[in-house]
Amino acid sequence: MAQTVSAARKRGHGARSKLDLIPYVFILPAVVIYVVFNLGPVLASFFLSFFRWHLLAPTTEFIGFKHYDFILNDDRFWNALSHNFIFLGLAVVIPVSMGLFLAVFIYEIRAGRVFFRAALFLPAIFSGVVIAYVWKWIYHPFAGVLNPTLELIGLGAFTQSWLGNPRIALYSTFIAYTWASFGYSMVIFLAGLQDISTDIFDAARVDGASFWQKLFYITIPCLYDVFTFVITLRIFTAMGVFGVIYILTGGGPFYSSDVIDIYVFRMIGNYEMGWATAAATVNTVVVVCLSTGFIKWREWRSWSS
Amino acid sequence: MEFLNRSAQRRLQGAPFYLLLSLATMITLVPIIWVFASALKSNKEIRENPLALPGEWRFQNYIDAWFGASFDAYFFNSIFITVTSVAIVLFLSSLAAYAFAKMRFFGNQILFFVFLFGMAFPLSAKLGPLLSLMYELNLANSRFGLILVYVAGSLPFAILMLRAFFQGFPQELEDSAALDGCSRFQFYLRILLPLSKPSLMALGIFVFMGTWNEFFQALLLINEDSKRTLPLGLTAFQDEYFTDFALSFAGINITAVPVIIVYIMFQRNLIEGITVGSLK
Repeated sequence: MAQTVSAARKRGHGARSKLDLIPYVFILPAVVIYVVFNLGPVLASFFLSFFRWHLLAPTTEFIGFKHYDFILNDDRFWNALSHNFIFLGLAVVIPVSMGLFLAVFIYEIRAGRVFFRAALFLPAIFSGVVIAYVWKWIYHPFAGVLNPTLELIGLGAFTQSWLGNPRIALYSTFIAYTWASFGYSMVIFLAGLQDISTDIFDAARVDGASFWQKLFYITIPCLYDVFTFVITLRIFTAMGVFGVIYILTGGGPFYSSDVIDIYVFRMIGNYEMGWATAAATVNTVVVVCLSTGFIKWREWRSWSS
Repeated sequence: MEFLNRSAQRRLQGAPFYLLLSLATMITLVPIIWVFASALKSNKEIRENPLALPGEWRFQNYIDAWFGASFDAYFFNSIFITVTSVAIVLFLSSLAAYAFAKMRFFGNQILFFVFLFGMAFPLSAKLGPLLSLMYELNLANSRFGLILVYVAGSLPFAILMLRAFFQGFPQELEDSAALDGCSRFQFYLRILLPLSKPSLMALGIFVFMGTWNEFFQALLLINEDSKRTLPLGLTAFQDEYFTDFALSFAGINITAVPVIIVYIMFQRNLIEGITVGSLK
């Protein structure tokens, strides 16, 4: 009571003011649903990774780093994680640069901007499931479109079992992923381009700057923050890729296209909750370090230059 | 004369851009067109000449796929789950974002940060305990349970986006409403929401697409055929009809068409939802 009054006096109110509850009423429903069905399970996953537990039996026993000991010595875990890193390495280069170039092209043309933007973004609207099945048919050994096309244009020697060959299955799934993600990067770059003052481009044109000069000296530096965002987005999607691979290969053949989320899903399916949560926690640490590290590095670089 | 030359020159300079854009457009559109065309062919045509256009258009494939599998149930499950989720997300996130943007209260910053925190995790970080929780609460294998999970997943982004938008509202608006005896809830309902229609629309379409397409959590939480959503139903359908090429193609299209229709109708809102969220 005395505290409230003194706090109210500090704020300059003469009369007694009570705690304002309305803001809490406004945020409460969102907080409850978010904590119970999102944040809570995330934190629980972290804590339970140090316990022995089962899906339906609440008996838990603290076992320290035992699950981590298993996970970090499991070749399949490192195999899956390395595939996420291959995916990430390719994803920050291929869909991002495709998106950048296509955005610049759309920016440069006059007629047809809306059409090209809509058509190039189209695959990004589909569920990973639809994308995977479209590509499953494209890659189909004889009823598909890829092998017959290669034969038609005289490249019959390149026909392949695109999803059955362990050496290329991962890359075949990456192509399906790219098909559906460069449009996403493109619309973000395009919005960024439209925020750049046209005066700069007009001045460059008057000075006779070439396409590549404009790209490297104006566009890319001006899109610095947009790049940070687009690449951060790729970190999340590449480290969390699931649906496309789950349907195209299921992680096979012989785990050659296995990724972390499929590994975790398989563990849950086998009721190995301890291993699943330990693997998920390691993956979370990797993703959080990668994304925040990347963002901090970008901020530091823009400050120091 | 000189003017003509210059404009012709400029038009020529644009030609490589059109060429490359057309090539990229072929990469995105040809597979989609091919899947649509194949759904109108007979199995024999697909097997013998996968690249040819359909000889006669067999719409029967769609009828067989729709009635042969439970696509009607999948479709209505998807509609129900998605529309309900979007409505709840819009209501709860706008309420919370209003408080975060415009009200001073103890814990404002910290609670907002707690929401932001949720965007930093990969999906797999919550799956094990989430499955366990849903069984405990009797919400596993339930459409209602899936809605709660989807709402919880969409709230952080929704609150982040709407908070940034609400912060742009002039304080005078709220002050004068308060002078006229308007409570904060009335202000929210009568003034803030109507004025935010474009943002709510963009957010709504963005959340709609994400929820409609979601697969991972549905796969984990739903295992009864009558409760499957379209992406989940499509996988079951494809497993069953994988040898029936024409029906497989028709099934893919039944799943894709609703999204394409929404995209054509709300293209601008969707792209706004993506880019506004990203650039602010």
